[in-house]
Amino acid sequence: MKAFAHINACSVGEVIQLLAKYQGKAKLNAGGTDLLGVLKDRILPDYPELIINIKTITQLNSIEENDEGLRIGALTPLINIIASPLVEKTYSILKEAAVTVASPQIRNMATMGGNLCQDTRCWYYRYPDEIGGMIKCFRKGGKTCPAVTGENRYHAIMEARKCFAVCPSDMAVVLTVLGATLTIAGGGGTRDISVEEFFTPMGNVLVPDEMITMINIPKPSPVASQNFLKFTLRKPIDFAIVSAASLITIDRGICTDARVILGAVAWKPIRVSEAEGFLRGKELTEEVIAEGARLALVGAKPLSKNAYKVDIAKTLVKRAVAGC
Amino acid sequence: MGEINRSPYESTITLTVNGDTHLFRLGEGCHEVSPSHTLAFTLRERLGLTGTKISCDRGACGCCTVMMDGKAVLSCMLLTVECEEKVISTIEGLGDPITGSIDPIQQSFIDHTAFQCGFCTPGIIMSTKALLTENPSPTRGEVQEALAGNFCRCNSHYHVLDAVMAVTRKGG
Amino acid sequence: MKDYRFIGKATTRKDALDIVTGKTKFINDLSFPNMLYAKVLRSPFPHALIKSIDTAKAMKLPGVKAVLTYKDIPDWMGGLPRHVRVLDSKVRYVGDAVALVAAETEEIGEEALRLIIVEYEPLPAVYDVEEAMQPEAPQLYEQFPGNVLPRGIRVFGPNPLQEVVIGDIDQGIAEADFIVEGTYSYENIPNPLPPESPGAIAVWEGEDTLTVWSASQGPHILKVALQKMMGSSNVRSMGSPVGGSYGSKYMSWQYVFPAAALAKATRRPVKICYGRAEQLAAFTVRLGSRIHGKVGMKMDGSVTFLEGDWFVNTGAFSEMAQGMVAVGCGEAQLMLKCANWNLKPKVVCTNRTASGQVRGFGGQELKCALVPILTLGMEKANIDPVDFFKKNYVKPGEGYYWRDGEWWVSKGIDFTNAIEEGARVFGWQEKWQGWLKPSSVEGTKRRGVGVGVHGNADVGEDVSEAFVRLDPDGKAIIYSGLAEHGTGQRSNICKMVAEILQIPLEWVSVTAADSSINPFEFGPVGSRGTYAIGSAVIEAAEKAKKQLFDLMAPKFKVTPEELETVNGMVYVKGKDEEKLPWIAGLGYHGTCLGRGRFQPDFTLPNFMMIFTEVEVDTETGKVDLIKVVSATDVGQIIDPPSLINQLNGCLGSAGIDSALFEETVLDTRLGRIMNPNMIDYKWRTFAELPEMEHAILETPFPSHRFHAIGVGEIAPSPGPSAVLMAVANAIGVRIYDYPLTPDKILSALGKMDTLKKGGRG
Ligand SMILES: Cc1cc2nc3c(=O)[nH]c(=O)nc-3n(C[C@H](O)[C@H](O)[C@H](O)COP(=O)(O)OP(=O)(O)OC[C@H]3O[C@@H](n4cnc5c(N)ncnc54)[C@H](O)[C@@H]3O)c2cc1C
Ligand code: SF4
Ligand code: FES
Ligand code: FES
Repeated sequence: MKAFAHINACSVGEVIQLLAKYQGKAKLNAGGTDLLGVLKDRILPDYPELIINIKTITQLNSIEENDEGLRIGALTPLINIIASPLVEKTYSILKEAAVTVASPQIRNMATMGGNLCQDTRCWYYRYPDEIGGMIKCFRKGGKTCPAVTGENRYHAIMEARKCFAVCPSDMAVVLTVLGATLTIAGGGGTRDISVEEFFTPMGNVLVPDEMITMINIPKPSPVASQNFLKFTLRKPIDFAIVSAASLITIDRGICTDARVILGAVAWKPIRVSEAEGFLRGKELTEEVIAEGARLALVGAKPLSKNAYKVDIAKTLVKRAVAGC
Repeated sequence: MGEINRSPYESTITLTVNGDTHLFRLGEGCHEVSPSHTLAFTLRERLGLTGTKISCDRGACGCCTVMMDGKAVLSCMLLTVECEEKVISTIEGLGDPITGSIDPIQQSFIDHTAFQCGFCTPGIIMSTKALLTENPSPTRGEVQEALAGNFCRCNSHYHVLDAVMAVTRKGG
Repeated sequence: MKDYRFIGKATTRKDALDIVTGKTKFINDLSFPNMLYAKVLRSPFPHALIKSIDTAKAMKLPGVKAVLTYKDIPDWMGGLPRHVRVLDSKVRYVGDAVALVAAETEEIGEEALRLIIVEYEPLPAVYDVEEAMQPEAPQLYEQFPGNVLPRGIRVFGPNPLQEVVIGDIDQGIAEADFIVEGTYSYENIPNPLPPESPGAIAVWEGEDTLTVWSASQGPHILKVALQKMMGSSNVRSMGSPVGGSYGSKYMSWQYVFPAAALAKATRRPVKICYGRAEQLAAFTVRLGSRIHGKVGMKMDGSVTFLEGDWFVNTGAFSEMAQGMVAVGCGEAQLMLKCANWNLKPKVVCTNRTASGQVRGFGGQELKCALVPILTLGMEKANIDPVDFFKKNYVKPGEGYYWRDGEWWVSKGIDFTNAIEEGARVFGWQEKWQGWLKPSSVEGTKRRGVGVGVHGNADVGEDVSEAFVRLDPDGKAIIYSGLAEHGTGQRSNICKMVAEILQIPLEWVSVTAADSSINPFEFGPVGSRGTYAIGSAVIEAAEKAKKQLFDLMAPKFKVTPEELETVNGMVYVKGKDEEKLPWIAGLGYHGTCLGRGRFQPDFTLPNFMMIFTEVEVDTETGKVDLIKVVSATDVGQIIDPPSLINQLNGCLGSAGIDSALFEETVLDTRLGRIMNPNMIDYKWRTFAELPEMEHAILETPFPSHRFHAIGVGEIAPSPGPSAVLMAVANAIGVRIYDYPLTPDKILSALGKMDTLKKGGRG
């Protein structure tokens, strides 16, 4: 890896100051499981001058519950989510998603904040510099997207314009279904934003002097059943080809509330509102669920090599809803 | 390179590996530890602990697995400068340095020929050690899950599982 | 069966303690004082001329000791025929070497690469094997018009096998009850993906002596090859433990040359170790294989003719493709009894990273495309594939043209029992429901079974030599150029010697795989370890023992034939009260040395059948491997756990899993391999292991005194076509290429309404 300066941060305040001072030339390192790959492959036009270790801000490694819900520090490793009785009891879908991430070693290292902020896995974007040079595309300030007509088997099937890369984060999908918000600290103070609004077509809303400090999760209805399904070629290691998360409440045989989110189909987790609306107020028979799944994907516009994702997405919606 | 914001305590780093403490100067020189060095690199190239292997160097294969504060982690995805005050153990640190006896896991791997080329073996043994430290009697399925991040291209998986299960029966 | 002291018993691998304690020194674990690190600048273009190249800035970077380009690289040539320069003024794939740097650290080397300024003139590129043969296609090499490489390989003999042309096709057509025709391809160019990427350290002494430490699977053949390719230099090749190779690190000139050139230029030791991306995108993958074939059959399953064009895509250069084609052609005949053949291979180069030797060596690539064409006929004749293979696999007394172009007759054994035992263990009878029929259906999950077959006559290929030295204290040392690459072969030859000399296994050791002290060793390839290497070692041990007895006989006043030895003591047979230690014959300061040499023998085909069961989710297109049974006959097991390990190896190393999810994805607009990392190049994990069983018979072979033959190399080869068959049976639809990823399954099932496109592209 090319050299950089390094500092172990003591507080959020110090981090914000450093970020402001370096004006985009400093990068935060949490678990490092994504960042180090990005740096080693030299995939970005700019290389950071300073790496700020934020794991040293130990107060952001925390899981606490209050009346409103769960508060998770951004530096909490995924393994703590998996091991937490609080999570298990009321927010089990977080654990369901966390156990599908990568591998045991990575779950020991990777943090919640890092998982949300990780860079996309588009093959063109990630192409290693050492084999003939990195590939410049829209997302790196270039002029084209080689994926649109190229090897796009894992790319977006929805809501994409210039960049067709998908949000790779599994935690984002379940945090979206739970309606979580993020606390972001920055030079201009602290703000809260929903996970749904956190992502942008080519990344996220963070400006160079900001970091996520907290993840706030409202308490889901105790009768809502939570379900997360992730389709991959292999159970460990693989990123989702498609994932689906659902939060379904059934009262006396009738679906009274439904939240359904699709992952890895677009630049952010996609809430399939039309399907949700259709399911609400109905008895969830096989036909109703199938129709809901169909509706979830009506807007899908697959690329040359990823139409199969539409079928898989439909199936996952169906199974996630039926499994509840 | 921009201005380096380094306080005095950051000009050296103390690393504790297999119970031994090592002091390094931070820097880009031949015998120094650079902030951009991974733990895997430092273990292998500065401490000569080449039992920790690098295969993918990107967090995907587990060949570089070591234990840090009792947990299996990937030394290729950790910056050495972030490992101060951690308790690190590598394959060389298993067993008893006084008697020279090896860990029961290692013995079981020998007894079951739980390797072919052996390149993946140190990483697999370290993942196993972390698992058994936390859960001395896992099921075969739990062992499979715990080793899910360890690549073995020779397909020694079946013998590895036999070897690990044999140790768990003995109570790890 | 004979009861041996060591042979057939599970014994501890000699290197076990070092492996489990991390002490084994693989190539990247070695370093030398004053050593430099090599880095390679790699081409961004799939095909281009280098117009200019400016290294001045790179040379000025502190810590850079040499920068080499095609202008100042030694004129060493690799490839078959010799056509690959270390650096050339033309690049032929993305990742092709453009310049070499030697630097004090890897980081400095990497930064230096970024300072080299290259101006390219891009040329059109071609990737498809048949397109490459078109008249207007871009030409990779002036000397290979139409991108077709000359066939044949001289080292196999004066008349090497180039094709299978036997009998009369018209006759076969006349005799056929029906003819089937099809095109199948195995072009996902899977990567053997050894955990240890290629690496070497080169050190020059004076002008003409090069010592190379390398991860080569065949360190001795590397010496021979390098000396040929480099002209006048003397090469000493030092083998080290190999962190997986699966064939790919056998011929190692591709990565040794850069280190050797830089070491020559700097007069310092130079280490090269490929990174994972380099291994995946700029090192050797499997051959691409496509067959347009036609088969005539009778309703009883006998094949009257086989005709086909076999298109072999070797990528940017041929490392060994013609050799692999020759062996593949031989193996086709072992599998299929047929009087009339016209199988014509074409070895074609294209603008992607080169293909090289991989476990399965041509035969797997051929079978993966050829067996499915045969299954079209089996389906039509409604024949159970197990019966078909049983009927058609070569039997003792039957013949075949082997790689040397000569006609050989099998003196081996009949594998019918192994097939039947495999079928029994797998439960074939119960699961087989007929062609394109699932063995069971549960909801959206459909199961299917399939079977594949493979075997070669290479267990006795090429020459091995060995010395066995007896020391006065009862110990024995084997001089062999064998490097350990995971099969346990270095331990197994110790077992053979311990058995012959009846000394404890701990008393036998093997020299380092150093070409300057050991006799010729072709290396552990083609499953030749047990028979070929074993025979040389056995002969050496027996000769050494005979010398010992010649020396000792006078002391007992008997003939040497009346003596025997156990644990370092010599007795007169049947009289164990009179005994003398070896030292009584050898003296304090003496040894005796036996020499063994194995001469090639292609009369003993080996055999492997793989039964597979898959489960397909028809809603997601996901294919899961449920069960695998391999069936074989090895004559005599040398070391049970090592054999089982080798058979379990059928999944990875570009084996069975190359039918399921392993593939190298090439963007044919850019010429780039898009998945050169271990997340996107898929491999099997601990979490998802199929049920695995083996049916291993031990019918003595007329091989050597232990009647054993090897099967390690062929363990994965029947797998991919077996999976292809199983999936077709599960879903009732055929798929014509690999791997069977969800997109292909869903498309075959007619599910993807928006995109009704099958196959690749
Ligand atoms: C082999 C492998 C398999 C993987 N599989 C999966 C998978 O299946 N599912 C999945 O979801 N992920 C997967 N990942 C990605 C991995 O889970 C994420 O990389 C991990 O969660 C990131 O967390 P981290 O703490 O290591 O992030 P880091 O690598 O430390 O950081 C990632 C990015 O986020 C930024 N960042 C980190 N924390 C903050 C913060 N608090 N505020 C603002 N910015 C921040 C960093 O600057 C950096 O740009 C995989 C990764 C690997 C290597
Ligand atoms: S999908 Fe986005 S990240 Fe990928 S190549 Fe296109 S613009 Fe770049
Ligand atoms: S080398 Fe660290 S995970 Fe592969
Ligand atoms: S034993 Fe070779 S990779 Fe595991």
